Parts: sequence; C-alpha cells; structure tokens
Amino acid sequence: MRQDPFNKDHHLCTKLDEYHVDIPDFPMKASRWERFVNFLTSPAKDPLESLISTADGVMLLKVAPIIGTVAWAFIQAFLFL
Amino acid sequence: MILNECEDQLMIAYQNGDEEALKGIYILLKPSLYSFIFRYTRDEQLSIDIVQDTFVKLQRYKHKYNPRNGKLKSYLFQIAYRLMITKLNRRKKWRSLLPFLSPIQSEELHHSDRITIREAIAKLPEIQRAAVLLFYYHDMPQEEIAKVLEIPKGTVKSRLHIAIKRLKEELGGDEYEAGSL
Repeated sequence: MRQDPFNKDHHLCTKLDEYHVDIPDFPMKASRWERFVNFLTSPAKDPLESLISTADGVMLLKVAPIIGTVAWAFIQAFLFL
Repeated sequence: MILNECEDQLMIAYQNGDEEALKGIYILLKPSLYSFIFRYTRDEQLSIDIVQDTFVKLQRYKHKYNPRNGKLKSYLFQIAYRLMITKLNRRKKWRSLLPFLSPIQSEELHHSDRITIREAIAKLPEIQRAAVLLFYYHDMPQEEIAKVLEIPKGTVKSRLHIAIKRLKEELGGDEYEAGSL
C-alpha cells in the first residue's frame, strides 16, 4: 500500500496544482552550433551594474579610461624615451 | 499504468531496431521530463538541453536498459537527474570563477508579496525539491524515487516529510491554517 504524505493536506495540494508548466516545442536533438548560439544569446548580468547605480560609480567609469590612458602614456614615455 | 507498459514496449521495440519507437518514447516522456527539470531549475534553455541530452544518452546506451530492473520512466528520470546535477555543479563552478556570466533570473523573488508555490518550491533545498517534485507531480512511489535519486527509501521518506513541512511554512502559516480548515 502506498503511503501518501500529502494525504489530508488539501490546501497544500491545491497550491501545488497551481504550478503549471508550458512545454515548449523542441526537437529530440540539437546541433552543437545551436547550443553555442543559445549560450551566446542568453542574457547575462551586467558586470558594471553596481557601478552604474551610484553617482560615484558613474564618475569612476568616466574617469577610469582617462587615468588609464595617462598611466599608459607615462609607461611608454619611460620605456622609449 | 497502461502508459508505463506502452513506454516499456516501445523501448523493447527500439532495442530491437525500430527507430520509429524512439519517437513514440520521446512524445510520451518529453513533457514529464521537461516539467520535472524546469520545476527544479526554472531555466527553460537548461531544461531543453537536459531533455535532449537524456535522449542522446538513451540512444547511446539503449541496450543497457532492462525492463526487469524498473520502468523506462524511472530510467530516463535517473539519467536526466544525473545530467542536471552535473550541469548545475559545473555551472556553480563557472559562476564562482566568472560571476558576471550568471544569467538573469526571469522571475525574481518579491519578498513583499505573498510567496507563490513556484517560489516556495524554488526555496526548498535541492535534495528535498527533487523528492517532492517526483512524488507529487510525477506520481512516483518512494521506491522509484529512491532509485532515481540513488538514496535509500528511508531518506526519501524523511526528505518528503521535511519538504512538506517547509512548504507549509513558506506558504504562510495563517493562510495555510485558514485554507486547510
């Protein structure tokens, strides 16, 4: 005889029954290329999101390339001059 | 029960060289496999990939299936569960190395709103989630769940018990008591 731990829990069963899943149409086999394209096109988190959300972060993003360029110019100057 | 016998017969036909039988198995079992993985991971693309990989494995090792050892459904769920755990573990490793690669969750949890059953299931620890999904949505007896998850039957029982308790807590004590009266 099967013991059902959900027995008598009508409310929980009703809630669980609310969880429907729509099954998409897809073939039995997918090519490696399709998978690679899906991987590339899947949305990902913005790595700069934490910086964009604050005024200081935005300023840092603006200033960082200038500082980087100046630093790189100095390095080149020391190396080649 | 009739459906299970049908699946097993189709598998035997496929083992004997009937390629059309594989299509029949796919049509019969794709929805339940997909819904199990989707409810577990809540990731559509990953669920599709795992269902496809499961059928690739079934084709590759078709002669390893023996109807005496269990139903085809349990056999496929076992393959899918193993693949899913491997992929999720691999994904966790990559995310720890490259955190910006993590995909955006389409449905964020809103703590201010009343928790839905989707969120309650997603909040369950992984080891309990699989047991509840297989038992409730896929009508699997505890013996079969034990086979799929490769754990003793007693562990399945305790995981189910704890998971149900947690689900009740997550769905809100007041509302739950009112609903069950």
